[in-house]
Amino acid sequence: MRDGWDDEQLTVALREAMRARQAVPDWFVETGKSAYAWHNIDAELAQLTYDSHRETAGAPITRSEAASIRALTFTSAHLSIELEVTAGSLLGQIVPPRGGTIEVHTKAGVTSLPADEIGCFSVAPIPAGPFRLRCRTTDGTDVLTGWITL
Amino acid sequence: MRDDPSVVALVVRAAGSDQSAWNELVERYAPLVWSICTRFQLSNHDSEDVGQTVWLLLVEHLGELREPAALPGWLAKTTARECLRVVTAAHRSERLGTRLDDADQFAASAVVDEEVLLAERNAGLRAAFAELPPRCQQLLAMLLADPPPSYAEISAALDIPVGSIGPQRGRCLGRLRRSPALVALVEGDIGVTVPGGEPGA
Repeated sequence: MRDGWDDEQLTVALREAMRARQAVPDWFVETGKSAYAWHNIDAELAQLTYDSHRETAGAPITRSEAASIRALTFTSAHLSIELEVTAGSLLGQIVPPRGGTIEVHTKAGVTSLPADEIGCFSVAPIPAGPFRLRCRTTDGTDVLTGWITL
Repeated sequence: MRDDPSVVALVVRAAGSDQSAWNELVERYAPLVWSICTRFQLSNHDSEDVGQTVWLLLVEHLGELREPAALPGWLAKTTARECLRVVTAAHRSERLGTRLDDADQFAASAVVDEEVLLAERNAGLRAAFAELPPRCQQLLAMLLADPPPSYAEISAALDIPVGSIGPQRGRCLGRLRRSPALVALVEGDIGVTVPGGEPGA
């Protein structure tokens, strides 16, 4: 390799390189490019700090536990977002309670829904793919969760 | 490979607010992310989820990448981890409590190392090809087809005499070999193996 490839080897290598690129579907590349829309978003990130499923992952899981309602908590410096996954919807509350707007971001786009004056909201149906929630409260706090896949 | 200046420059620009630099990074490394998804035999749907997660993680960590040149390794590891997550989630729905075991982790790290080397070689070759004059790109593109067209067909398509196709091919490959993108690859001494078996085969 230090002396380089001869013409045949170089042709074979180049063909392989071009094929590797051609094998990648356009939609896969576009998904990557569109991710840049999240660059420099001016919202505070909320980290996943509790996942009821993860809490039990170390121990043998019984069916009754696995079937129980899954609860998740995302926490930022200014507020938490508590989520419960039910059969058909995602119930949430902003803690400490306050009203605002919840945006559900999926790869298909963004939908908005209100959180009532005690911070409760409901997302239905539950997004099929990865999504994240952006919470803008009436007092001006702007918080974005990490990506969630349920 | 660890100090590819073009990749470092792209990461720095993308960490600013340069969408075109980001697009170039994605073009360069999407084949790496895709090939690892393929190694894990993910469906298109799962591959899309993994790809999306990987690029979003990169977007969020662009400013924190301490060694931008280590990006391919980071991308490959992150992709393999996400693939394992998808695969084990699928297992878990069939068999409760399945967890990653050491064998899975080991297999993933072997995949990562192989794919990073291959992806860097391929990206270097594509970058070198992109730097060639248009005439060389046209000629080599025809010769790369499988099966390649006859010299008579190439002659007609590119309007060059049959007798000069061989010499032009040699000159174009020579330019390719000397291009900075490929020289950097060779000097990086990344243990690239020659594809296609025996020399001149």
